[in-house]
Amino acid sequence: MGSREFIAGPNFSGRSRAVHARAQRFGVPTYFIGPYAEAALSGLSSTIEDEIAIYRAKDRAADRPQFGAIVTDPHRKPQTLSGGEQVLLALHCFSLSAYRALAIDTALEQLDTANRGDALRYLDANSSFDVVLTDNRARPPNWTCTQLTASGTRFICNWEGVRGKIRPQHAPTIAIQQLSFGYRPGQDVFSNAAVALERGRAHRLFGPNGSGKTTLLKILVGALVPRSAQITLDGVAYEPWRSGNRALALATQNPDQQWCGATLREDLARRRAALANRGEADALADGRVADLARDLGVPSLDQHLYELPLAARKRISWLWPFAGAHPWIMLDEPTVGQDDDTCRELARTLDALCSAGYGVVFVTHDDAFASAVPHRVLHVENRQIS
Amino acid sequence: MTPNGAIVFTLVVVVAAMMSRMSGLVVLYLLCALFAVIEVGPNAAAALRRAAILMVPLAAFMVLVWVGVVGRAPADIAASQPGSRAGALVYVSIVCARLFLIVAIVQIAAMRFASITPLQFIKLLRAPMALKRLGVLTLSLIETLLQAVDRAHTALIASGVITRRLSARNVFNGWVLVQTVWLTAITSVTGRMRDKWPMEHTLGLLDPLLAETRKDPLRTPDKIWISCAAVAVAGIVWGDFYGLP
Repeated sequence: MGSREFIAGPNFSGRSRAVHARAQRFGVPTYFIGPYAEAALSGLSSTIEDEIAIYRAKDRAADRPQFGAIVTDPHRKPQTLSGGEQVLLALHCFSLSAYRALAIDTALEQLDTANRGDALRYLDANSSFDVVLTDNRARPPNWTCTQLTASGTRFICNWEGVRGKIRPQHAPTIAIQQLSFGYRPGQDVFSNAAVALERGRAHRLFGPNGSGKTTLLKILVGALVPRSAQITLDGVAYEPWRSGNRALALATQNPDQQWCGATLREDLARRRAALANRGEADALADGRVADLARDLGVPSLDQHLYELPLAARKRISWLWPFAGAHPWIMLDEPTVGQDDDTCRELARTLDALCSAGYGVVFVTHDDAFASAVPHRVLHVENRQIS
Repeated sequence: MTPNGAIVFTLVVVVAAMMSRMSGLVVLYLLCALFAVIEVGPNAAAALRRAAILMVPLAAFMVLVWVGVVGRAPADIAASQPGSRAGALVYVSIVCARLFLIVAIVQIAAMRFASITPLQFIKLLRAPMALKRLGVLTLSLIETLLQAVDRAHTALIASGVITRRLSARNVFNGWVLVQTVWLTAITSVTGRMRDKWPMEHTLGLLDPLLAETRKDPLRTPDKIWISCAAVAVAGIVWGDFYGLP
């Protein structure tokens, strides 16, 4: 019977280190699924088919069933899958491999409720391998639990300070009509979709992994060009892919996908320069963002972003939306890697932002977090937003 | 046709293109056209389009420099002849025809294997394992860079540092994009090498995967095409010896 171990604890208590240490003690090569693409996929393949071929073993355990099925184009690049789909692919590859041990570091948080349930049932039901898991959302009841406690006083947030620095805003209403978009011909993500996002409210984009939630955010900030769309801000036409993004501050699912520089100071200086001709740059004034960064647990703007732990990088990625340069705040899976206390405070902060006149859109599979933010649910499914 | 045959055929054509004069180039163009029609079919049009996209800027630059600025062919300069723009144009045409042939045959040969994945292509190669591993790692690095470009592009557009359309802002901040791409690529690679590969021994999975399964590295079509290319090379050498243009 394979062992099942759950590593519990708050942020910065050394859970990732504990996962690595436990994997070493397995004494055999251990399949690893980390929270983002670099640590979930092999990085050696340019197609899904190749990713599976790398891990597929002729001598895998006979009593290990296959996990899930790959329903997307096997020639698609694995890196273009959504975060949740990458985790599903990684689990699928593991199930076809000869590995006798599996280590998962907060990756299951990216799965929707149904997929997370399937993944946990799969891990519970198969005894042919050992598992070590750390996760902020799922806690399998019958596993051996190692409880860690917070170590040191680094990266402690002052949430009252964050909320105290919220600048009032007057977010425009965003109306989206006739939105059609697809990455490939014949495979639409949106087809004639329509939705209105109201100021002073939080909206949760909700849908299965790969349904297009992140894609919608990328369209709204101008990073993707829809095949057709009529978007207005308070009735005025808005085409961010032509005129640039002037309304939405996006914090991406993987914080490393949003940096514009190596240090926080460099990142913010570039954002400030981009805002300069719109008269909104004072929101990112050095003194103000330094205070905000301190409140988010990073004492210096000269901090090299990539030297921070992942959970701290994720928190500091919220500085840009919280600074108030843009009236709409978009957070993609904000709770990934964050402990319960942080999620609770984040929910209160989003509520405070709505009260201050911002519009908020967030994507999450974390129902407990979502329930703490008064919000409207927008279902993203079957190429529609409803 | 096998990847081994395609690579040998392409190499022979490339070497022949580099040493041939105008008459030789005509022969090689005919051979490549035949190869494209028989082995690739209608998809060859896409390969030719890619080759043209790659070559047009270079051709325009050469015309500008040699015909527009210099106004003489290199041979005229070496012989201290006055030369002419027409002579320079002929020189540029031959060089461009040669380069286009090289780019086109590489694209056509690649298109021949568009239906198999890069990993399957490398697996089918008759090459030392170290070279195959290097091929996979090179492809991995290329994919990482492409992904880094996509991520950095998204980050900088979302923050307003650059725009999707051509703009002065893009010109001024182009170096920020380059820096961001490098940072992203480096952190992706180091993240993978720190967290994933050592725990899994991922690279160790490559050897059994890339091990050859076929005994004959070349099939009959490979041998026919390679022979045709070799005959073309012999003809070019013969023509060169007897002073064909």
